[in-house]
Amino acid sequence: MPNRLELTGITKQFPGVLANDGVSFAVKPGEIHALLGENGAGKSTLVKMIYGIMQPDAGEIRWNGQSVTVPNPKAARRLGIGMVFQHFSLFDALTVLENIALGMDAKIPSRALESRIREVMQTYGLLLDPHRTVATLSVGERQRIEIVRALLLDPQLLIMDEPTSVLTPQEVDQLFTVLRKLAAEGCSILYISHKLHEIKALCDTATILRGGKLVDTCDPKQETSRSMAEKMIGTGLRDIVKAEGRTFGPPKLVVNRLRTQKTGHFDVPVDGASFTVRAGEILGIAGVAGNGQNALLDALSGEILGDDREAITIDGLGIGTMNTTERRKRGLCAVPEERNGHAAVGDFSLSDNSVLTARDRLGMVVMGLINSGAAKTYTGKVIADFAVKALGPASTAGSLSGGNLQKYIMGREILQKPSVLVVSQPTWGVDAGAAAAIHQALVDLASAGSAIVVISQDLDELRALSDTLAVINMGRLSQARPVKDFSVEEIGLLMGGVHGATEAA
Amino acid sequence: MSPELIIAIIVTVVGASTPILIAALGELVVERSGVLNLGVEGMMLVGAITAFLVVFLTGNHYLAILLAAAAGVAASMIFGFLTLSLSANQTATGLALTIFGTGLSALAGQGYSARPVTLLGPLFPAELALHPIWRVLFGYSALVYFSFALVFAVWWFLKKSRAGLILRAVGENDLSAHSIGYSVIGVRYAAVAFGGAMAGIAGACFPLLLTPQWAERMTAGRGWIAVALVVFASWRPFRLLAGAYLFGLVMTMELYAKAGGGPLSAIPAELWAAMPYIATVVVLVLISIRRDASNNAPACLGKPFLPSN
Amino acid sequence: MQFRLEKRREPSKAMLYATPVVAVLLTMVVGAIIFSLIGFDGIGAVREIFFTPLTNAYKWQDLGVKAAPLIIIGVGLSIAYRANVWNIGAEGQYVMGGLAATWIALLTYGMSGWWILPLMVVAGIAGGALYASIPALLRTRLNVNEILTSLMLTYVSVQLIYYLVRAPWKDPMGMGFPQTRRFSADALLPNIFPGTIVHAGVPIAIVVALVAWFVMSRSVFGYQMKVVGAAPHAARYGGFSENKTIWLALLVSGALAGLAGALEVSGPFQRMVPGFPTNYGFTAIIVAFLGRLNPLGVIFGGIVIAITFVGGEVAQTSIGLSNAATGVFQAMMLFFLLAGDILVRYRIRRVVPQTAEARS
Repeated sequence: MPNRLELTGITKQFPGVLANDGVSFAVKPGEIHALLGENGAGKSTLVKMIYGIMQPDAGEIRWNGQSVTVPNPKAARRLGIGMVFQHFSLFDALTVLENIALGMDAKIPSRALESRIREVMQTYGLLLDPHRTVATLSVGERQRIEIVRALLLDPQLLIMDEPTSVLTPQEVDQLFTVLRKLAAEGCSILYISHKLHEIKALCDTATILRGGKLVDTCDPKQETSRSMAEKMIGTGLRDIVKAEGRTFGPPKLVVNRLRTQKTGHFDVPVDGASFTVRAGEILGIAGVAGNGQNALLDALSGEILGDDREAITIDGLGIGTMNTTERRKRGLCAVPEERNGHAAVGDFSLSDNSVLTARDRLGMVVMGLINSGAAKTYTGKVIADFAVKALGPASTAGSLSGGNLQKYIMGREILQKPSVLVVSQPTWGVDAGAAAAIHQALVDLASAGSAIVVISQDLDELRALSDTLAVINMGRLSQARPVKDFSVEEIGLLMGGVHGATEAA
Repeated sequence: MSPELIIAIIVTVVGASTPILIAALGELVVERSGVLNLGVEGMMLVGAITAFLVVFLTGNHYLAILLAAAAGVAASMIFGFLTLSLSANQTATGLALTIFGTGLSALAGQGYSARPVTLLGPLFPAELALHPIWRVLFGYSALVYFSFALVFAVWWFLKKSRAGLILRAVGENDLSAHSIGYSVIGVRYAAVAFGGAMAGIAGACFPLLLTPQWAERMTAGRGWIAVALVVFASWRPFRLLAGAYLFGLVMTMELYAKAGGGPLSAIPAELWAAMPYIATVVVLVLISIRRDASNNAPACLGKPFLPSN
Repeated sequence: MQFRLEKRREPSKAMLYATPVVAVLLTMVVGAIIFSLIGFDGIGAVREIFFTPLTNAYKWQDLGVKAAPLIIIGVGLSIAYRANVWNIGAEGQYVMGGLAATWIALLTYGMSGWWILPLMVVAGIAGGALYASIPALLRTRLNVNEILTSLMLTYVSVQLIYYLVRAPWKDPMGMGFPQTRRFSADALLPNIFPGTIVHAGVPIAIVVALVAWFVMSRSVFGYQMKVVGAAPHAARYGGFSENKTIWLALLVSGALAGLAGALEVSGPFQRMVPGFPTNYGFTAIIVAFLGRLNPLGVIFGGIVIAITFVGGEVAQTSIGLSNAATGVFQAMMLFFLLAGDILVRYRIRRVVPQTAEARS
């Protein structure tokens, strides 16, 4: 039997970066094949070429033994290739049925389509009401639409791009059951991830990419997580250096029954969060995306103004009704999740971006005029201290890679020596080296006596970084406890919260 | 009021409402695809002068409508090329199109002002419209019936057809539509062209339906009112029908206030002339007070489509 | 051969400043061709519209007088558009500024005193700002789109002029013409060069542009406008209120349009007439874009557009080209500018056919 998919010497060049360099591997029928690599290793580019979104500059794609070109996604689907994207290609304002109809190339009467959808849902246990509007669905439910959409085409190869990054551990288990059932029926699965334990649990084969090149194709069950991680990252892993037996100072940031208003249609507000962070302590807040993390960060930073002054206090001073500028003056800095357009202005120079948050703490404004020299000097220091790869303070923020921009943003806040720092997704989409540097900087800031809150969806990151941990679900925050008192299962259950339980039922 | 007066009022309101309705339906489709074309006024003027010139030269009203639509499409393609192919700012480009249409129509119409043409006659034979009551139903030109048919057609297209589903999808989430494999730019070009054709026909209504001559800027801001109406209608065709007729009523209010006598007739003519614009502002305010209105806006409205690759 | 657009790492500064110039040149070339094709004297039109105002020294004073209101309004619009606030009702604010100044002039009719003209100017500024505060209020309180409201209010303001000059403000000695009295001497804007028509509005325009440039490039106010326009979310994070910025943008642009209105009515017009709305408010939109939304650039944009206005009048008398041609040329310039904008962020690359050899 020929290989389902065989790639030979696939190469793709982007301006300034070789995204794929002579990548070759094969996927057998019914095989669950992992494509493993750090962010930026070239996984997404590779599957986009398989799915016809991009064309390789060189190399050959063989499908069931035949050499093929895949000019567009429609052609890919005709061949029998289905794909579930990491960022779902769904339309919030449309119904499940309309969304699926859009993904079908043939025109099927909606009644016939609906019965086929129900059939597929029944077979694989992917339950959904076809007439619900997508906007009202949870992230896990949205992913089911994508999977159903792909399965309706009876694919011979299903590509899953980082499917679990937004799921609770329980939802991940349900997904794995579906994938194993599919593989048993002969459908090959190309599973993209950087989560090693998942790959060990699910996959038959793993192809590891690093910097666009193929490093190894191996059997994940024969490897240890550490050995795969080293192949993926290259040089030996660096661990976070935390001083042993650290003691914490007095409470610095005290949050007491913090609430936010429901703003948009589908935003999750914060519903009575309370916690205390002491000087020198790092509090991690875990949770599945879209459970009120953004509202929590905005409420802490002052972007959402509260009406209760005592809901947030720093060193006993109530700041709950202050705006961002006043909070910064009192030592509270924050880094939101979205870098470009929220934490930084892409069209502005790095120097001007420093003015955005550091102007008052570092005296960059004199009588309503901006001291651009001071901004430039400070920006130069951030670039140097955080090893930001940029031409200089005059480079625009938009010209930096995601990881470098994040290093700049973290540096911009950390070098202001805030007494409280709140960060969301500090290493999201950042390569391993930069992530390690950011983690170390956070630990060092804490050691110097600041209180730090890290909001993240990456459990591994939180478990390595935080001293105490709390879980947010539907805007409600669990009790914060020392991180070593939690088991992964317990965190998972808390992350699933109420709606996780109803789905399982 | 006498029945004759009421019928006269209805006929006037229908006439005043028709161009706004047609133009707004075109813009509604454009906006549903995620594009904000503020050049409606300019495209209407291009349509108006084209229709006038064709009727003046050939006397053929239907050819005039057809060529006005074509001229509207041509004008809309300037906008389409700049905003869709070159991702220029939609607001600025729409404004530029209006300025362009105003200048071009004035240039083309130079020397033709006050030269009369004939209006487009009623679609149905005069026998059907002998009685005043029947006139209300059968006394209009084809453009009026076209505008009604268009309401249904646009509603059906958006709600029932697959092409309409794709168009809505492109307006809701262009990146997703692109990743599924639809041509975002292609769909938007088609929508912009349709909007241009409708604006052209709406412009043709002025010399063919309302005042049988050419005058510079004869559309007098009706294109902008059409844009405002789309917001008022929350991007729904039947609400647009109601909105357009509401405006038709406001625009012709002066006539029956004068006819009716009493205190209303003392209101200065300038206030009546300003009424449609004041009404537009009032309507926009009312619609925004009703909270959920903006939630129905296509999510990608006015944003350029910038795929990562 | 195929071409492809490729994103630049950094927006090109050179292209940013080159595109307005290229847009003007392209307009001349393409304009000449198109006007020839549709049966006009294309080359003559371009010569008269773009060059005669420059070569004929007698026309220079006209240029200054036309450019001054365009620059003043354009500077205000450039600030508003930077903040992503689309005030397109500057024409209406200009009219209200003119009416407010007229009101003072009529109240003080027959009086004399140095204070009359400054008071008119202040009234004009206040009138424009007040009229712009309506869209500001509606946008910030009710989220009503300022494009539509500011434009609708322009139509209303024009009707207001018609009403005022027809009834309450009509010149009793005007033989029935719908216009106000000619203002008293102290309500008229003085000429700065005797024997010319160049009035004090011309240096005021230059000063306005210079001050605005300094404020926009150096001050926190300017930073606020730019950051709210470029990334509203980031602006909120940086501690800038979007609503406050919308207010400021509309008030500043309205105030400047009102200033231009006061200067025009007390200068060239000397009375309020129905023909007072001369589209300066709309044309200033093109001026702001030609000037790259930079107050210094607006001086350039204002002069270019003034050239086309003066040239359009020349062409009308010399080769019988309709005044409307000017509008077509101005719109073409804006089209070319917007089209050229893509070269600021992208570069054009020739696409080499995809073969294995071409890879290295």
